Amino acid sequence: MELKLKDLSFDRCGITVLEGISATVPGSGLTCLLGTNGTGKTTLLRILSGELKATSGGYFIDARNAAALSRKELSRYFSVIPQNAPVPPYLTVGEMVGLGRFRPNASLWWHLTAADRVVVNECLARCLMTAFKDRRLDELSGGEQRRAWLAFGLALEKNFLILDETLDGMDWLAKRTFFQMLKGITSKNRGILMASHDLEMVAEFADRVIILSESRVIFEGSPDSNLSRFISAPAS
Amino acid sequence: MKRVTWVTAVLVLLLLGGVLMGLAMGPVRLDFRSVESAVLMHGDASTRILIWDLRAPRVAAALIVGVCLGVAGHLLQNSTRNPLGDPQLFGIGGGAAVVTALAMAGILRVSTWGLFSLSVLASLGCAAAIAFFASRQGLSPARMALIGVSLSALAAAIVTGILAAARVFGAQPLNFIGGSFANRSWSDVVPALPFLALGLLIALPMLGNMNVLGLGDQVAANMGAEPARTRAVAIAASGILGGAAVAVAGLVGFVGLLVPHISRLLVGHDVRLSFLISLLLGAVVMLYADQFARLAFMPSEVPVGMISALLGAPLMIYVARRTRWN
Repeated sequence: MELKLKDLSFDRCGITVLEGISATVPGSGLTCLLGTNGTGKTTLLRILSGELKATSGGYFIDARNAAALSRKELSRYFSVIPQNAPVPPYLTVGEMVGLGRFRPNASLWWHLTAADRVVVNECLARCLMTAFKDRRLDELSGGEQRRAWLAFGLALEKNFLILDETLDGMDWLAKRTFFQMLKGITSKNRGILMASHDLEMVAEFADRVIILSESRVIFEGSPDSNLSRFISAPAS
Repeated sequence: MKRVTWVTAVLVLLLLGGVLMGLAMGPVRLDFRSVESAVLMHGDASTRILIWDLRAPRVAAALIVGVCLGVAGHLLQNSTRNPLGDPQLFGIGGGAAVVTALAMAGILRVSTWGLFSLSVLASLGCAAAIAFFASRQGLSPARMALIGVSLSALAAAIVTGILAAARVFGAQPLNFIGGSFANRSWSDVVPALPFLALGLLIALPMLGNMNVLGLGDQVAANMGAEPARTRAVAIAASGILGGAAVAVAGLVGFVGLLVPHISRLLVGHDVRLSFLISLLLGAVVMLYADQFARLAFMPSEVPVGMISALLGAPLMIYVARRTRWN
């Protein structure tokens, strides 16, 4: 499974946010979306997850035109961890990751099955959060909270995991651990698309990069050590 | 799960104790056997009348209003992720208060059923107004509370104006503004039942989805939980329940605000479990507050809202200090 973006554009209040975006996001491996602030990374991710509708063009999930799918149908393909994911009060890490197994409009008596618990424990382990299972989210550091959200995203078991600038505010070591974890959780059946600013980490860990500048794609392909040549301050 | 079972068992026992207290105690004190035989329609006629026509409707009214307020507060707090969610604080009961004030002033002449229906409709209107204003620029808890408090103050001003203009003075407006179950008969209580049932029935299917609303709208929508629809239904159910509560007892504060917080402290985050506990705890709090209001100062009594606020304010301060806000 892969995402094919075809000539996708998005305008807001007469301002072009994205223009003629064409790119491919494979259904496996880590794809990073790079670009300076305001180049439309978050908007693109919101369009992919169905939160916003493209003004023109669109994208395909394999051969299926995403424009023909409702947001509920799109939600079967994507797990989204937003830029400012909240810290739900009262929840422990295990409880939050357990909610990842919830299916909408489930019975009032819905509860985690034995199989769900296996998945939850596996997701916690893959995100190095097993020891934090019974800790409340609001007691954790920023980096630990992001890992908890990642475990939640994994527990949803969708084809694509979309992460929006998840690493902001993390120190170098926490970022590195996070990227290593992302590499560890990519699989044949799961692609990860992450918006990031971190050129060094992206160059080292990403399988593919898509670089946006001034609302357009200026590079798409395998990363190299000189990604900074594409990133410049936006024109004032 | 064990904790929920224990808490539920304790609350059910407290409810049974409160009901027994409500039936047995008063200016005429009855022993358990007299209550039992009167409930089973045995014994002397005067005791049966005392139990079935005077005390039972009052107990039923307290139970219904407690359930309505506890559940309405729970739905508002969880659907809007707002710790200040309360039908009175959000102004949802304001519409019903205006309708009841119009009826008390003799301006609105309708049957009890008509009064209940109009109260619920007015509350639904207020709920829709809050949802509309609040959704225009996102669901900021502070914005919702500010809009709610403003609507509430507006409704209070209109109610005071109506009662003053119609020269309605004395115990009746005091009991309405402070909340009271005094002199309630079955005809004042029974019309609330269909609205209670309706509010609960439309809220129940939303509880599962409400569990994931705490993760934020973006994540909830991505999970297919339809946050806007879930929230709209929950707020509408709060409007129905809040309106019915005002029509039965007037303006009773603090129960809808306090009960959901205590429920979460007792059984944790699961919206389905805290819904059940809010329902039972609302009834328990209201029942015992009413017993205190009518028994502590016999032969006179005080508005039940005064007791719920006297008990609720320090408890709420304690809960607020213990809770970590997001």
